[in-house]
Amino acid sequence: MSSKIVLVEHLARVEGHGGITVEMQGDVITDVQFNVLEGPRLLEALLHGKSYLQVAPILSRICAICSAAHTLTSLKATEAAFGVEVSPQTQRLRELLFRGESIESHALHVFLLALPDYFHRPSAPALAAEQPEAVKLGLRLKQLGNTIQELIGGRAIHPVNPVLGGMGHVPAVADLRALRDALERAQDELRGAIDLLAALPPDDFMEAETTYVAVEMRGEYAYYDAGDQLVVVSSNGRRRFSPAEYRLLTNEQSIAHSYAKHSTLDGEPFMVGALARLTVNRRRVSPAGTDAIARLGLVLPSSNPMDNNRAQAVELVMDLERARELIEQSLDDGVRPERPVPVEPRAGVGTAVTEAPRGLLVHSYEYDGDGHVVSADVITPTAMNAASVERHFRETVAQSAQKDTPTLTRKLELIARAYDPCISCSVHLVRR
Amino acid sequence: MPKPRVGIFGLTGCAGDQLVILNCEDELLDIVDLVDLRDFVMASSARDAECPLEVAFVEGAVVTEEDERRLRQVRERAATLVAIGTCAVWGGIPAMPGEAPRRELLRLVYGDVGEQYGDGEARAVKEVVKVDAEISGCPIEKEQFLKALAYLLNGDMPLLPSYPVCSECRIQENHCLLMGEGAFCCGPLTLAGCGARCPSLGVACIGCRGPAPDANVPSAVRLFASNGYGHDEIVSRLTTFAPVAAGRSA
Repeated sequence: MSSKIVLVEHLARVEGHGGITVEMQGDVITDVQFNVLEGPRLLEALLHGKSYLQVAPILSRICAICSAAHTLTSLKATEAAFGVEVSPQTQRLRELLFRGESIESHALHVFLLALPDYFHRPSAPALAAEQPEAVKLGLRLKQLGNTIQELIGGRAIHPVNPVLGGMGHVPAVADLRALRDALERAQDELRGAIDLLAALPPDDFMEAETTYVAVEMRGEYAYYDAGDQLVVVSSNGRRRFSPAEYRLLTNEQSIAHSYAKHSTLDGEPFMVGALARLTVNRRRVSPAGTDAIARLGLVLPSSNPMDNNRAQAVELVMDLERARELIEQSLDDGVRPERPVPVEPRAGVGTAVTEAPRGLLVHSYEYDGDGHVVSADVITPTAMNAASVERHFRETVAQSAQKDTPTLTRKLELIARAYDPCISCSVHLVRR
Repeated sequence: MPKPRVGIFGLTGCAGDQLVILNCEDELLDIVDLVDLRDFVMASSARDAECPLEVAFVEGAVVTEEDERRLRQVRERAATLVAIGTCAVWGGIPAMPGEAPRRELLRLVYGDVGEQYGDGEARAVKEVVKVDAEISGCPIEKEQFLKALAYLLNGDMPLLPSYPVCSECRIQENHCLLMGEGAFCCGPLTLAGCGARCPSLGVACIGCRGPAPDANVPSAVRLFASNGYGHDEIVSRLTTFAPVAAGRSA
């Protein structure tokens, strides 16, 4: 007889409410499910008829940890629909904000949410007794990310300074200089912490061939600005398609056990996020990033989803570097006061594809001639990853010699957490 | 005296208010020393899900049956329940009115599977259980959280400003976007505490902190109308963050 057992009721140290359920036939586990229990908010459907001016602030609220990514991707999609070109200074400031969020998000995940697992501790404060320096560094890096978001975004969560056509306020030169110096100090500190991460106990209890999807850009690592094409890396090689064809990735299916629908590519689950970005953009990784990859012993493409933790650490190195570079470019070019360019609504469709901290993010809207929303699609990284998490759950169960509940529960929690799921995000879906 | 037992909970929302607490990077390790943090799933996998709590902070709107069950359980455990964030205090964005009933939208998004998801309506925490104190904001301001926590640790109820953002904006001598630019600035109606973040950057207030209790709503609506905004637009903007305050029928 088959029965369902809730293994994890409320997954800890991730954003939002998710759980893990297993199906048993007698003593044998026959299936594992990732349950997204966060309530549906239906934001895309509720946007219908609202003014273009309300769209970015409303969709920012999809998720706090990714709120800068949602805001900036939303503005980009609306600007594309109305044919608005923002200034190079705005582009640079927005990208700096994007990096700030990534620093905050990756520092939070790597040092404060994932690291306790490797030391069998329930939380970062509990880990602080044993590893005070690592926890304090995590807090400092996270704070630096927030300082960038405060300065450029006007607020650390749900930024208010980026507006359609530009930025409300341009930061002062003295503030940018102070930020640059803080980034330089953080780069030095992080270099030492990479060795600590490299020395962590192995987490190679599961192996599975994985398909990765990320944005590829000409000449640069996958950042906010202008993703040229979406690239799929699988055992069948690389495949490219244009951002406008994003729906190929979102063959979404309603699932009875989850408020998040499942995405597949040609019927196969795929992974997005830091590990996918590194895999797709391996040749565009900076020397400092390459050094971190080597020191962490990361082999790409990887067949272990736990490597996403290490991939985030590599990106942390590159984010600090990139943020500093952006500030130096701004200071060299001179920071000018500037008002947003005027925005005139018109009927049309705009799509923006970016790389949020947790992976590929798509916002696509259709507007009528007065700038009222006709339809809105948001496709989030965690929604895209949901099918892949479950696949890796099943592989973990299949490959585990010990099938007792505590051992399996711990492994499944580690897998889920390595994806750094943002469960609030995952509940946002395309209309049928 | 034993340390007060504290729990931090999230219902349906964006987790922004819990993240504000985690963003107290300078204070976090001190807070953990001052209180006995028993139940905070977003930050720790060690949780005591049963113990009585001196203080519970609850973020998010009540959307699912599970949200309601969890909220009632927290209320039973907590001597003092503090609603944090605009969703918990006023329903927030999840309760924002749309063009069709939630049940219809659920069907539209999920198909037949949507039938099992209840009515999809979002409620503020005080519409379901008794609330002892509120910290509004989308998200809450870090300083207001720390101040409220200090009050509670000293056995007092938090005392936070009840005047509008307009007052804070005047103190900063900002150029008035409502009168001077004809912008749709919700500063006169919105609860202070953010230091007039948006108008200080030249960006109009969108009312994310919910209403100030003594705001003059008819006067502000007349100003919006004289700035050229139509009735539907005014209603849509003013019900975005605090539909419960607007009585939902507006």
